[in-house]
Amino acid sequence: MDQENDFRDAQDAGDRLIAAHASEDPFAAAFKATRMPMIITDPRQYDNPIIFSNDAFTKLTGYSRDELIGRNCRLLQGAATDPEAIAKLRTAISEERDLSIDILNYRRDGSTFWNALFVSPVRDETGEVIYFFASQLDFTNIKSKEAELAAARHMAEQEVARRTVDLTAALTTKTALVHEVDHRVKNNLLTIASIVKLQARMTESDVVERTLMSVLNRVEALSTVQRKLLNDEDVGHFDVADFANDLATDVIGALKRTDIVLTTDLREVVVPATKASPLALIINELVGDAVRRGLRDGGGEIHLEVRRLNGHFLIRVVDTVTPVDVDREEAAFSQKMLEACLQQLRAKLERRVEGRLTEVSVTLLVKD
Amino acid sequence: MKILIVEDEVLLAMELESEIEAAGHDIVGLAADSREAKDLIDSVRPDFAFVDIQLIDGPTGIEVGRHLSAKSIPYVFVSGNLKRIPEDFAGAVGAIEKPYTMNGLQNALSFIESFVAGKPDEKTPPPSLVMSPEVLAKIAA
Repeated sequence: MDQENDFRDAQDAGDRLIAAHASEDPFAAAFKATRMPMIITDPRQYDNPIIFSNDAFTKLTGYSRDELIGRNCRLLQGAATDPEAIAKLRTAISEERDLSIDILNYRRDGSTFWNALFVSPVRDETGEVIYFFASQLDFTNIKSKEAELAAARHMAEQEVARRTVDLTAALTTKTALVHEVDHRVKNNLLTIASIVKLQARMTESDVVERTLMSVLNRVEALSTVQRKLLNDEDVGHFDVADFANDLATDVIGALKRTDIVLTTDLREVVVPATKASPLALIINELVGDAVRRGLRDGGGEIHLEVRRLNGHFLIRVVDTVTPVDVDREEAAFSQKMLEACLQQLRAKLERRVEGRLTEVSVTLLVKD
Repeated sequence: MKILIVEDEVLLAMELESEIEAAGHDIVGLAADSREAKDLIDSVRPDFAFVDIQLIDGPTGIEVGRHLSAKSIPYVFVSGNLKRIPEDFAGAVGAIEKPYTMNGLQNALSFIESFVAGKPDEKTPPPSLVMSPEVLAKIAA
């Protein structure tokens, strides 16, 4: 039978190969004993059969030596073996080249392993290829760990992507909501101001008008806070100096007097939104007080300072005016507003009056 | 000046009207949507306009602004969200941010008056009036 003849031929070739080496040949001994699975094939026989395999190869594949001798290596291939890898292997052998390739192989029992295969031709003195030598390395563990890692990374990336989408959507909704609410608050504040102004315009009583304008003044201070409160870079913070500058410039500008000298020393002091309203009202009362005590009627000088001082935060207003009679009710109301705001912030106020000069300093602790 | 107010909130429009009149100007029209605004611009040809961005028919104030600009009528935006204004200010002189104060509005008005008259006696615009980059450059020059 052909198969039997083939087997005998392959066996003979293997025997000849071993016989060519003395039994004590260290290379042959090493080949047999190494833990590295190895085989040798004979390309001069039909179908390039295996003529020799070592114990390590039997251990790896489950095939006994007898089952291997005379067979082509393709017995290790199976349904899931990459056809492209098989083609490369075939080409390397027909072109008599070295090849290093990762290929999925099958054991005798049908189980698979990842084989880091190295094939190289062995030539005689004339250069003819007389053997192919192949070594195998099972790297299934590495391969599966790689796959596990890749799968885990893929899952993590997917999860991150999914959460990013969720968060982006949530953030967009939140931002839109904040803008909507901010817009409504601004509109409502302007509506409140309009209502007060409308009634002030319609009343025939001076007292009512004055009272309404006094309310309007405080509402407008809060409106300005709201206008200055929200910006995209620093939501919920408030620059006191920026507010003070706008307020003083607007108040003094609207008096339309050329005999008022406004000087400022304003350094950026950013406070949380919760402190914005009382601080704004304090500055509003201090500037308003100077206006009512004489600035409006006779001009003069006003100096406004906002800055940090030894871990404290200082608001200082110094004015020089020719004093006029102040509406007592109005002054008492302003004083009450001031006290409430000072108490709210646990701030201290010092007032110094020297002739026509009035100096008011408000200090409070701020966290950096 | 003959002034047009484009604002969809009647109460706010009314109060703005009385402030402007108190400063000695004539209100020649109030419009609450872009179509009304454009019709008024074409029919009464105001000297100046105050334009809210959010109108009854949507954020169409920008469009109204471009219409004014095409007719070389100076105007300012009046809006609660200045970030909505395009980079070129759609040809506007500037913008007044809501909620404005009475003082802020009056200061903005007097600056606008002198600016439109071509003789800005004050070189610095008040904080209540955010000037367009183009006008700012012109003032600085």
